[in-house]
Amino acid sequence: MAEGNEEIRGYEMALIEVKNVSKTFQTKAGKVEALKNINFNVEAGDIYGIIGMSGAGKSTLVRCLNFLEKPTKGTVTVDGKDLGSLSKKDLRATRGNIGMIFQGFNLLIQSKVIDNVLYPLRLQRMPKADAKKKAKELLEIVGLADKANAYPAQLSGGQQQRVAIARALASDPKILLCDEATSALDPQTTEQILQLLKEINQKTGITIVIITHSMSVVREICKSVAIVEKGEIVEDGSVEEIFTNPKSAAAKTLVFGQADSAPGAISFAKDDNTKKVRIVFSTNSSYESVIADMILKFQNPVNILRANTLDVDGVARGEMFLQLSSDPVIAENQVEYLKERGLAVSELTASDLVAASAAGRKEAE
Amino acid sequence: MNMDINWVINWLSPKEVEMILTGIKDTLYMTLAATFFGYVIGLPWGILLNTTGKDGLTPNRAVYAIVDFITNVMRSVPFLIMLILVQPVTMWIVGKSYGSGATIVPLTISAAPLIARMVESSLNEVDKGVIEAAQAMGSSNGYIIRKVLLKESKISLIAGATITVGTVLGYSAMAGILGGGGLGDIAIRYGYYRYQPNILWVSVILLVAIVMILQGIGTLISKKFDRRKK
Repeated sequence: MAEGNEEIRGYEMALIEVKNVSKTFQTKAGKVEALKNINFNVEAGDIYGIIGMSGAGKSTLVRCLNFLEKPTKGTVTVDGKDLGSLSKKDLRATRGNIGMIFQGFNLLIQSKVIDNVLYPLRLQRMPKADAKKKAKELLEIVGLADKANAYPAQLSGGQQQRVAIARALASDPKILLCDEATSALDPQTTEQILQLLKEINQKTGITIVIITHSMSVVREICKSVAIVEKGEIVEDGSVEEIFTNPKSAAAKTLVFGQADSAPGAISFAKDDNTKKVRIVFSTNSSYESVIADMILKFQNPVNILRANTLDVDGVARGEMFLQLSSDPVIAENQVEYLKERGLAVSELTASDLVAASAAGRKEAE
Repeated sequence: MNMDINWVINWLSPKEVEMILTGIKDTLYMTLAATFFGYVIGLPWGILLNTTGKDGLTPNRAVYAIVDFITNVMRSVPFLIMLILVQPVTMWIVGKSYGSGATIVPLTISAAPLIARMVESSLNEVDKGVIEAAQAMGSSNGYIIRKVLLKESKISLIAGATITVGTVLGYSAMAGILGGGGLGDIAIRYGYYRYQPNILWVSVILLVAIVMILQGIGTLISKKFDRRKK
């Protein structure tokens, strides 16, 4: 039956389809390739993270999703519409279906909170009474019903972002784009905003695309993720998969570098030639016995360089960086043992450790 | 009659007092009318400069270069010269080339490019992120100009209008040289040509007072509408 449906519709489409997108900027210094042949799909209801260092091109990429930036090459299809083929008017109507929030909140500072939320409703010429009612409901959802008549400058950063979220949701969009939406906020406020986004995703099924440079943001709410480096997607997949088994150097830097702990032990260990591995396990309790059993079995100590418990897409995950036995044969057996016990094991090269310790240091600051 | 009134009457004849009162009225009339018409022309002009500019809504190098050039040329012509240059236009519109009604024409023509520049720079100050957010919500450029650019920059626009009024008032006084009417005209005719320092000084003090009052009103309005601070 599914096949029959596919035949009628031609083919089953993802909500957002990005195909062969490139973007070149003409600057005084010459051509700059901000995006190179980008391909990815976002399924309806997903929370899709696009992560990369600053300058990787991720902000340009998210702007291609609503054509605030027109790709030089390639196509972006949103909800079955090829954005490049739309007239200006149709593009504006389609943009009404895609909400967007920003790092700098971008509220109208000379307008009251309620008028900010009313902006998209007035734009769509919704009858006054209905619009007002809807704006109030939205402020209720983001927890700012009592601030309707305040001005943005009277609110904290977190509150301003909540207003921006209410505004972005006012036109009942299918998609919400978040461009570094929590980067200007403190950790606690970031946490609250992410929870709010997650709640809205669960309640309304809205598809969310999150641009961020922070792995912890991706880990906490994204289901899928694409890693962007120098204008290219170097790795994509489910967050769990990439967290457990990062393949590209960029992914490793992001995944290994997210420790809250100081990099001390790793810095000391990175220069000797013992084998080091990172293990990932799904529950907190299992790993303690695994390590203890392994030490007992091989009668050989292992050195724990770093251990963390992290929330990955709603599931608690443990990660541990181990320095194995100095005897290469025993070390090899230890790796086998860990794999047999069902743990994801990735061997760490010297450069991985440098990345981990450098990023760890950065995060510790 | 009490002492003060007698002193004024002795200092200025009733006829002169009446003349000065008419002068105040004419000065305000010229200034406000020319500012109004100046904005009728200068506001869309400034919006055009802003939107066709490099970071505007619809960047257009050719249009911007032409409009920018015209603005610069018109801004460079000293007001007194403009007054003489546009006399044929004044004659055509008003039917005469002297008096306060006629002065409104050159005042408007001089004020418009000044206003265009003020408007351009006020609109340039609007946060690009807010404009981007409006675009992301699907606003047309016309909607953004009306609901975002003009609204967000209103404090700066009011400050610009206040400066413009002061400048136009100064120009209107200059027009007195060619019989332009108003307090400047009186100061030049009576104060300078007839050497009546009392009239000269009263005119000057009144001009200063008017500028200060208009400036005060402008500042007050700006403060009242400014939502940028807590």
